[in-house]
Amino acid sequence: MFEWWTKYEFMRNAIVGGALVGGMCSLLGVLVLQRGLAFLGEGLAHAAFGGVALGLLLDLGVRFHMDWLGPVWVAVPFCVCVAMAIGWVRNRGVATEGTAVGIFFSVSVALGILFVFIREKPSGDLESYLFGSLLAVRRVDVFVSAGLAALILLVLGATWTKMAYITFDRELAKLSGINVEALDYLLLAMMACVIVLSVKTVGVILVSSYLIIPAATARLMGGSLFGMTVKSVIVGVLGSTVGLVFSYYINVPSGATVILTLAAGFSATLLVRGGAALQGHSH
Amino acid sequence: MVQPRIHASREPVLQLRGVGKAFGDRRILTDVTFEVLRGEFLCLVGPNGAGKSTLLKMILGLMEPTEGTILVLGKPPGKTPGAIGYVPQRKSFDRTFPATCVELIVANLRGSWPVVVTKQERDKAMAALVRTKGEHLAGRQLYALSGGETQRVFIARALVTDPQLVVLDEPAAGVDIRGREDLMELLHHISADDYLAAVMVTHSLMALSRTAEKVAYIDGTLQAFGLPSELLGHGKLAALLGGHTEDGDG
Repeated sequence: MFEWWTKYEFMRNAIVGGALVGGMCSLLGVLVLQRGLAFLGEGLAHAAFGGVALGLLLDLGVRFHMDWLGPVWVAVPFCVCVAMAIGWVRNRGVATEGTAVGIFFSVSVALGILFVFIREKPSGDLESYLFGSLLAVRRVDVFVSAGLAALILLVLGATWTKMAYITFDRELAKLSGINVEALDYLLLAMMACVIVLSVKTVGVILVSSYLIIPAATARLMGGSLFGMTVKSVIVGVLGSTVGLVFSYYINVPSGATVILTLAAGFSATLLVRGGAALQGHSH
Repeated sequence: MVQPRIHASREPVLQLRGVGKAFGDRRILTDVTFEVLRGEFLCLVGPNGAGKSTLLKMILGLMEPTEGTILVLGKPPGKTPGAIGYVPQRKSFDRTFPATCVELIVANLRGSWPVVVTKQERDKAMAALVRTKGEHLAGRQLYALSGGETQRVFIARALVTDPQLVVLDEPAAGVDIRGREDLMELLHHISADDYLAAVMVTHSLMALSRTAEKVAYIDGTLQAFGLPSELLGHGKLAALLGGHTEDGDG
């Protein structure tokens, strides 16, 4: 029954890597959802496409004979730069967040298409970045995900109460002496890193749902903001694991099965809790 | 009308000297100078776009003046943590944000959102709620409160750090008539406090008459400053407030 775990290293990598990125996305997803930043998540996911395409074009791993130096190492700084640029444009009041995301999102995708087309090698591996693939997650990716997860846990552990206050009300948080702008940039940078690392599991097209669905499911379950965050992580890790196992059995891209599993969890929670939640919100 | 009181110690809590603010070429405020003494309740009035909110933001330390100085207890705003309590205009909250009244009050006490509220913090939050007669609201979710209840909780939030200055930005705006009456009683209570100084932006003659010991009429600059009884004869001020006698702030 568990031969997918005992026999195949690629499955162990996919499951552990998927659980790690699923947990991180769900953790940040609560802040993203409560701040209404879903579109920003979508924009950063598309920026990841540009970064991955640049990574494939540069092919640093082959060029420097370092197998571990995959496209992700180019995509992470690329996506972080895009996230910082969106934050800067928003904070300076140059444009609204929606406009900034819209511009950087389309420019990143356009650059990605350009990089794919000027690349001389066939772009078969691009498909795994677009839709997610069990085979795409290597052992080195698991180590990188584990390192990043530890770092994010450390940073969020130190800043969570301030992040939560900003999420509740930016003005009141600022009045309490919190450096709202700096923590905004920090959240954007963490989102960019997590989104890029999640691309191998769920793909560019679906990665923003990885941020939103577990948090939305946890929100239906109720409780405090911290309780909601814990529930979101549990939902993200479970949904990711179950979805990846489905992907193995029915042999379809893992992005689809992971997101559909998470969506099924959301629907089931809505059926069970939805009535109560809606009643609670009606007065 | 509130009568000005003679206090044993009337040291200034808030001092503005020649304060001005411009955004690029657009000038919002010019040369505003006044003081608010301990125990004094000042109402800031003026037409929309007169610069009242900008002035409040500078007093709170959210914005730097382009020229002039602002001192709270002799120090620049932001250098006196806990000394200023702030009551914003009625906020509406995301119905899905899980936040109770006690958590909101404790967040101001801590300067961050609480994961767990300690007994000591809960006691302080409850004491602040008792001061505003809102103890029954402690465990309620913020989104479920009426306008008047929300402002009552925000006043408790402002008082929990034992501030020396309370800044209120049109606290009765968006509050229904019954809630507004309760709120005015609460503000009158604050106004009677000999220790607490307050600055309140208002458009309401009812709020002004129930609370103000001094009135500052702002319209790009300080047009008039003094006792309410003196200033209500000021043509522009009377015209301004005349239109807002029953509809509260905003």
